Amino acid sequence: MVLIVGIIATITYGTVGLGIAMVDDEEDTISPSELDEDERFSDPRVEQVGENEYEAYVVAQTFIYQPDPIEVPEDSEVTFYVTSRDVIHSFSLVGTNVNTMVVPGEVSSVTAEFDEPAEYGVICNEYCGSGHHDMEGMLYVVPEDEFDLTELSVTADDEVELGDDATFDVTVENGQLDDLETAIELEVGDETIEEDVTVPGDDTYETTLTVDSTDLGEGDHDWTVTVDDHTESGTLSVVEDLEDDEDDEDGGDDDE
Amino acid sequence: MSDATVNDAAKTTESTTSEPLGETYLDKFPAEAKVVRSALYSSFLALALGGLFGVIQTLHRTDFLRIMESETYYTVLTAHGVFLVIAFTIFFLVGVFTWAVTTSLDREVEDIRFTWAWLGTMTAGAAMAAAAILAGFTDSLDMSADVLFTFYAPMQAHPLFYLGLTVFVVGTWMAGADWFRSWFAWKKENPGERIPLPTFMVLTTMIMWYVATLGVATAILAFLLPWSLGLIDSVNPTLTRTLFWFFGHPVVYFWLMPAYMMWYVLLPKLSGGKLFSDPLARVVFVLFLLLSTPVGIHHQYLDPGISEGFKFIAMTNTMFLLLPSLLTAFTVVASMEHGARQRGGTGRIGWLKALPWRDPVFAGMALAGLMFAAGGFSGMINAGMNINYLVHNTLWVPGHFHLTVGTAVALTFMAASYWFIPQLTGKKLWNRPVALVQVVLWFVGMTFMANAMHRAGLLGMPRRTAEPQYDGFEYEAGVGSVAELDAQIALGGIILTLSLVLFFAVIIGTVLGSRSDEVPANGYADTLSGPEDSPKILDNLKLWFGLAVVLVIIAYTFPLLSIIERGGLFGPDITAFPQSIDIVSMAWLTVEQYATDTFTSATEVAQATIDGVLR
Repeated sequence: MVLIVGIIATITYGTVGLGIAMVDDEEDTISPSELDEDERFSDPRVEQVGENEYEAYVVAQTFIYQPDPIEVPEDSEVTFYVTSRDVIHSFSLVGTNVNTMVVPGEVSSVTAEFDEPAEYGVICNEYCGSGHHDMEGMLYVVPEDEFDLTELSVTADDEVELGDDATFDVTVENGQLDDLETAIELEVGDETIEEDVTVPGDDTYETTLTVDSTDLGEGDHDWTVTVDDHTESGTLSVVEDLEDDEDDEDGGDDDE
Repeated sequence: MSDATVNDAAKTTESTTSEPLGETYLDKFPAEAKVVRSALYSSFLALALGGLFGVIQTLHRTDFLRIMESETYYTVLTAHGVFLVIAFTIFFLVGVFTWAVTTSLDREVEDIRFTWAWLGTMTAGAAMAAAAILAGFTDSLDMSADVLFTFYAPMQAHPLFYLGLTVFVVGTWMAGADWFRSWFAWKKENPGERIPLPTFMVLTTMIMWYVATLGVATAILAFLLPWSLGLIDSVNPTLTRTLFWFFGHPVVYFWLMPAYMMWYVLLPKLSGGKLFSDPLARVVFVLFLLLSTPVGIHHQYLDPGISEGFKFIAMTNTMFLLLPSLLTAFTVVASMEHGARQRGGTGRIGWLKALPWRDPVFAGMALAGLMFAAGGFSGMINAGMNINYLVHNTLWVPGHFHLTVGTAVALTFMAASYWFIPQLTGKKLWNRPVALVQVVLWFVGMTFMANAMHRAGLLGMPRRTAEPQYDGFEYEAGVGSVAELDAQIALGGIILTLSLVLFFAVIIGTVLGSRSDEVPANGYADTLSGPEDSPKILDNLKLWFGLAVVLVIIAYTFPLLSIIERGGLFGPDITAFPQSIDIVSMAWLTVEQYATDTFTSATEVAQATIDGVLR
């Protein structure tokens, strides 16, 4: 009897005293068929919510995880919010006690601290159908200087008439809370344009870079926009006369 | 205990037990013996199939021999689980319980036709569920039940699977009614007498079973079966899962109780002595009746949607379940020591040598008990809310229950079969040495397999998967290697299969033999401290039943209400995977509209009531 009470007491201490939170009913329910309209799960991602504090919104479904891989910095405290689009899965970091059931209609939340760079396999340990054994993902804990939450997107002309300006609309999104000081570099043909920018924390910077197509000359030119480790690239055609023959070139696939 | 009188009879027959020959169960109860025999044969058939699927999956997942696609693995796994833990264990249980009631009350069943009726019902149910599972092997039938033993929604099986389970459970309810009927009749003729211990064990176990099966009956009849028939569109996965574990934990004690009974009423006798204490045995069974059910949520520590407090209550109850098992360990070992000293054993440890280790029945049960101690320790780890995060759904868990149900129960049943089959057929056990090798092989095989499974679980290797190796990462084994663990699991599986083959050789050899006079007399162990020493209140089954219900209400009312409040009775628009209503939907088309309407209105009423209660 004393032994049993003792066991319960140590577990209680181990749980409450050390502040280990259990998966419980803190989170609201969610409709699995409406995940696409949900603020957190329509775009599964990692978000910074405080200094060294991150939240990861993860969707489990047969037989993948989104996002995959998940990337977080070292020395961080990450809360995973995980839900399922279909059947019951689990979200389990192999070899750790980050392990939770993922039930459709519910959101599991688990908080973990990552002290140093590491790689963890993410597996589903609840049988979820004939492809259950293929359901895996990765979690990378990367050094702080290699980590960012920058997103780069570029909208550019496919074709310009010789003599016109070619425009590149560049959007840099900084998902981290600190300001991001960096440079946008555009290389097109032999031309290089660079712009130093500061993107405020949790904000977006938009700019338009222009290149005179005369400098490029007629023909196809590969272009690349680089911000830190992120790149976007494409091809720009400079033509003598802009004709309406685009449809023939980039295919009839867009008919719909 | 210090009584060291040498039993001459025991000394002269060193290789056998000291059991006196005489009237067998078959002589005394020929009609009942036939029923018990049929139940045991059904259980052996399930054991053979389940064992076959076991070795196929072991060699598949350890990548030693692959005869199927990994997709098929889950059909095999479902069959392995359901055949062994539902059919093998429970068919054996009803056989043994029928023996226990008739023998200890010393009366025939009240109506043998009813006895056959429940056995027939159980068999029909088992056959239906088995058909649904095995149909998963062929694509030509649009039927499958690859849902594993736990059948968690939104995974869906063919309706026949759910129906089969229901019919099977109804059969066990009828069996329980049969035993209660015997007891009522006996009580009328023996007013004021204490319930004989084996019957007491049967009745308390069955009360636990009636309480526990309410959970699975509700899950199947109210939700899963109508859902699989297309009558309702959606279920609440947390609700059906919780109702499953309402039943899913006590069912492990349902498997274990007949093994406990064997340890209490046969093992002391085979050791050459008496049961240490009858009252303690009664206390143990009462504790199991009270505590088995309100613990199921300990299987759901990692579930979202259930609060930490409810999980804590389940953990506390679970830890108190250690008590009856520790009491059992003490009582059984004390009884064995008593037996050993009767046989001339001496010394603090030396008495162990005097036990009849060459008797396969004794050796099997004793080894099973030893394994159960190990299984109990890993179970304590599982039960801890926080450390459970490390091992939940890893291979550690099958490691644990292959020690408990896979050895403590299965090995005890196999060893007991060596005692029962002669009782039921009047034939002498064919080849005792082979039987002895068989039980030892099981012990050795399971040592390899369960040990490696526990260790693999600590590395984070999941259970229930065809391919434990992944592309993106590798397991880091602190000691040894993953290859070594796989090799141990496969080796264990092969030894266990060999052991099973020997088991069937002995059983078939015995059954095919001819009638013999050298079969021990039917009976069970006497007690050192008898029922006269135990308080009468222990026999007050109504009281214990009431208390068990109260504990269940305390442990489950609020969790269930909270789950329903969160997700609704039928969940947030959950789609079934895979949907299997194609065939049946045609037949149901006409009824469906009407039924759905009724259901919807009933649901609204229920929902309104629940909301009212919560407010």
